[in-house]
Amino acid sequence: MAESGLGAVFLANRDRLLRFLVAHGAGDTAEDLLQELWLKIGTSEIGPVSQPLSYLYRAANNLMLDRYRATRQAVQRDIAWTEAATTVPGQSDQPAGERPLIAREQLRIVQQALDALGDRTAAIFRRHRLDGVAQRDIAREMGVSLSTVEADLRKAYRAMIDLRRSFDDS
Amino acid sequence: MPEDRMTIEDEALDWVIRLRDPGFANWEEFEAWMSAAPDHADAYHAMAIADQDIAEILATPGPKPLIVNTPAPVMPRRSRRGWLGGAVAASLAVVTGYAVVSTRADPYQVETQPGERRSVTLADGSTIALNGGTRLTLDRRDPRIATLDRGEAVFTVAHDDADPFEVRVGDDRLVDVGTRFNVVRADGRTEVQVAEGAVVYNPRAEAVRLDAGHSLRVMDGDAAVQLGAVAPGDVASWREGRLIYDGQTMTEVAAQLTRYTGQTVRAAPEVAERRFRGILSLGDRNDVADLAPILGVKVRRSGSGWVLAPL
Repeated sequence: MAESGLGAVFLANRDRLLRFLVAHGAGDTAEDLLQELWLKIGTSEIGPVSQPLSYLYRAANNLMLDRYRATRQAVQRDIAWTEAATTVPGQSDQPAGERPLIAREQLRIVQQALDALGDRTAAIFRRHRLDGVAQRDIAREMGVSLSTVEADLRKAYRAMIDLRRSFDDS
Repeated sequence: MPEDRMTIEDEALDWVIRLRDPGFANWEEFEAWMSAAPDHADAYHAMAIADQDIAEILATPGPKPLIVNTPAPVMPRRSRRGWLGGAVAASLAVVTGYAVVSTRADPYQVETQPGERRSVTLADGSTIALNGGTRLTLDRRDPRIATLDRGEAVFTVAHDDADPFEVRVGDDRLVDVGTRFNVVRADGRTEVQVAEGAVVYNPRAEAVRLDAGHSLRVMDGDAAVQLGAVAPGDVASWREGRLIYDGQTMTEVAAQLTRYTGQTVRAAPEVAERRFRGILSLGDRNDVADLAPILGVKVRRSGSGWVLAPL
């Protein structure tokens, strides 16, 4: 792997990537995470990468998000376990069948909330978040200014994230 | 402080958006922002994860395409619109405000061991016959909803236009239109065979109407729903000790034999994918070894169970 472009860029920028993980709050585990990142780029099938350093930063960023998500889920499992352990005898837990129902219901709620933002805002959000189109290209595509795209995206991402958080509260 | 929190959240949100741009390259600027205050990284993580969750919800699969195995059991969609509207409205009424429904539900379970069969009658007069190795989740507060967690059951439903009976199975839903139907849930597979009346499969997605004599089969994660035919008299014939197959794999035959007889039956890898058409008459004898000539395999003992092996 060291021969491949990505491996070489990794080694040349090891310290920068380490600093990035530390900035993310990796603390003592930053070195371990860097090692994990090294293994990841070594084992995955990656074609030629046009911006190798940017690619590595993004992979490091994803690694931190995965780690953060895993910690959060572990905490939630602990809470769920405590709640399950204090269930009143004779009352069953929510059946597993509810899960897909909730997924589809959430989809419906999210789509409604997105549509409620207006056609342009919803379309811009979809192009950016789901299709992965750059803001500049969306502006050109839709014939609006870059600042309109930025403003719409702020509005839409904020609405979506707030909605997501409300699911946890309910 | 709340004002500060807003500012940090807004900044974090901007980073979430900027990082999503495919050409994003200002990693060092992003790093500097995260390092500037201890709660910056946390604010970013929380928002980035909520954003990932939203994308995941938006990627929830929509309706699957339908594959028709046998001559046209599906009627043209347009002609169904009249009653479908009713079914959709009714199912929406059930799920609007899912949080309310799920907290009000008072679920209980009915379970059979392999080889055991029993029947339950619900408050509305509907009856459900459970094959062995089956678990159903029912709701004391709502006798019109049943979840088939695993196994096989025949639903004989007291029909009510205003309050259709709904069976949940895997990720899917079946809504009755005056019905007797059999449902199998095993190994990530859902099968439905209709003996009388009709059911609607996933009224809010595929919205397929299955009339008497029609069957449906879908694997979890599959892109398509397969539709087929079944003789109405053969539906749920397991209740009379007859197991009827129309091209199921030996693995599926073995799973149903296990459910029915309570003896562990499995298919050897060499025959696992082989398909079987025919009728196995078990009656009350439950003698798996006797089935060898019909199945065209060798049935040999393995521990306390049986293996279907090549001849």
